[in-house]
Amino acid sequence: MTDPSRALVVRLLHERNLVRLLGFALIILVIFSFASPSFLTVISFQSMGYQLAEVGLLSIAMMLTMLTGGIDLSIVSIANLSALVAAQLFKATNAGDAVGGKALGMSAVFIVLAMLTGLACGLLNGLLITRVGITPILATLGTMQLINGVAIVWTGGQAIYGMPEAFLAIGTGKLAGVPIPVIILAAAAAVAAVMVNRTGIGMRLKLVGANPTAARYSALDNDRALIFTYLSSALLASVAGIVMSARSASANADYGTSYVLLAVVICVLGGVNPMGGYGTIGGVVLAVITLQMVSTGFNAVGFTQFVYLVAQGVILIGVLALNQLSDRFRGRYRVGWRLRHAGAEAVQTPEALGPAVPAPEDDAPKRQPAPPRA
Amino acid sequence: MNAISGRRSLSWSRLRGENNEGILVLVIAVLAVVVGISSPSFWSLSTLLNVGTNSLENLVFAMGVLIVIISGGIDLSFMAIGIFAGYAVVVWTNDTGFGASSAWIGFAIAIVIGLAFGALNAGAIAGLRLPTLIATLGTQGVIRGLMLLYVGSKVVPKYPEGLQSLSTRYLVSAHDATSTTRLSVLIVPAVLVCILASLLLRYTTIGRGIYAIGGDAESARRAGFPVFRIQVMIYLIAGGLAATAGLMHVVQVQLANPYELVGGELDVIAAVVLGGASIFGGKGSVSGTVLGVVLISLIKNSLILLGVPGTWQRAAVGALLLIGVTAQALSGRAKRTHNEIALAEVAA
Repeated sequence: MTDPSRALVVRLLHERNLVRLLGFALIILVIFSFASPSFLTVISFQSMGYQLAEVGLLSIAMMLTMLTGGIDLSIVSIANLSALVAAQLFKATNAGDAVGGKALGMSAVFIVLAMLTGLACGLLNGLLITRVGITPILATLGTMQLINGVAIVWTGGQAIYGMPEAFLAIGTGKLAGVPIPVIILAAAAAVAAVMVNRTGIGMRLKLVGANPTAARYSALDNDRALIFTYLSSALLASVAGIVMSARSASANADYGTSYVLLAVVICVLGGVNPMGGYGTIGGVVLAVITLQMVSTGFNAVGFTQFVYLVAQGVILIGVLALNQLSDRFRGRYRVGWRLRHAGAEAVQTPEALGPAVPAPEDDAPKRQPAPPRA
Repeated sequence: MNAISGRRSLSWSRLRGENNEGILVLVIAVLAVVVGISSPSFWSLSTLLNVGTNSLENLVFAMGVLIVIISGGIDLSFMAIGIFAGYAVVVWTNDTGFGASSAWIGFAIAIVIGLAFGALNAGAIAGLRLPTLIATLGTQGVIRGLMLLYVGSKVVPKYPEGLQSLSTRYLVSAHDATSTTRLSVLIVPAVLVCILASLLLRYTTIGRGIYAIGGDAESARRAGFPVFRIQVMIYLIAGGLAATAGLMHVVQVQLANPYELVGGELDVIAAVVLGGASIFGGKGSVSGTVLGVVLISLIKNSLILLGVPGTWQRAAVGALLLIGVTAQALSGRAKRTHNEIALAEVAA
């Protein structure tokens, strides 16, 4: 084994949540492969790929904002508005029957415009959160409704059709047997992973999420990092919107509204800390694949989607409870762990901290403002 | 702060209210005047009855959400609990005939269902100590899935006798040339719930404990509040209220549709936040929440009166929410600088 790959394995083994999720995914794979002969086939995995790509893109978007300790509830609204921009442009130019270079060129231009729409929405989120100072969950709750509302006004609530084949290929085509949406997801995941793990801005995102006060005292520009985050999440959302509309051959103001909360479920399953500061792209992608396998597997053995709904909730609570309980168990023997987690845990688990544990250091500046110098 | 800012600002802050209730009243008044001028039919009993009808179930939902938000949590499962309770009562009463003649029994069953799911939430949040957002996101899926799996997945138009007669019992009705507007008798329990919630939050130990936990759970524990027990109470109450509101909704629409309500959670949360409750916990009031719910319902009603197409409703509510939270953020910032100045003066 070469050194980098060995380092990777060693690092992965440290990510206990990730290893647990991987084990869970493998168990599901084995169970459904035995339960249904149609599960472990190329076609079944291709159809899974078409379905998981858009959810995957939205989940990565959500994850970036959760890394900074925020949340983006507006991703699906942004996705739909971006898709609508492209669809309306195709419709306005009567490009539905266009072929060849013209169709390709128009698709490229309209996709760029759709992504710019997404970026504009992201900028709005970023400014509301940084310059105005609104909590992310409230700012994006508002923009979610506003952007969705604008899309409804624009379309009158109707679905928009009329995209050319060249555009639809994004959602339905294959490249060497691999669905194009999966390739887009893989590319987006790779770019996001490099950004989060290998670049300065990625490091800053995590620092802002881990402790905004400390980040500010370290001379980091929190506002700039946050605006960048919401721009990225909106860009990913608009890509998801383009994939969604290309797959369904239509754009609609109210497509996929349940994806917002599904993206949160996936992030949390994938080990992203909702308090910020911690999460891996690999974990999120693994969680998307796992949930998609459960969904497809249930379908293959003849369960309804309602069972999947229950399973999704049970898996979410089960995995988290398992993480929590094992952390607590380990924590009993490792005082260091208790100290490190004291800040995040105080809200939920006051009892876990004995009176002997000192107050978390990182909260100190917030609670007692330094006395002003006379 | 009082000593420094003096008398004038004291009366202003009293008028404004602890949670900006004064501003909400002002916004509602301005809205009423503006809409009233451009559309005189606004000033009628029917508008009042419309707003009452449209907001009564949301008032009850919002009370549960408010209590959870004050405690520093966030509940995404209340709509699932509501529709489960409402739909299950109709289906089960139709099937078994038990309690078909009385709406009281229906509401009692609904509340038992709500308490059971509230206990489920409490188990995940107070027992397993999961973050509230994620725990209730999980239970939302479980509750909705269980309903669609085991209670039913079809729209039921037939109601048992008791609920049927309740759905057409009105408190007041207003007639004008073209139509009749009625206010359901359910407004009475809805108002009662608001009064009880207000009394609970203001005058009981549990109520003060809810604020204390929302302010800082660890401090509340050290101050002697039984945090675990209060958290369990919070989610039991929220579950019971959600179930009550869900059955109210089902009774009002006169068509039990299991696919309704879920997905509308964020709208109610928006109304509560607009009413001045802090998403961080520790702050919020029943009066503010009532005003928030009424304002949203009033906006929707006014848009129709002004002849704005119904498609604008969502955008308008979104814009309103953004304006509301922007105002809160800015006033919070102003208050903070004010406090810092005060601190500096005290130190000097």
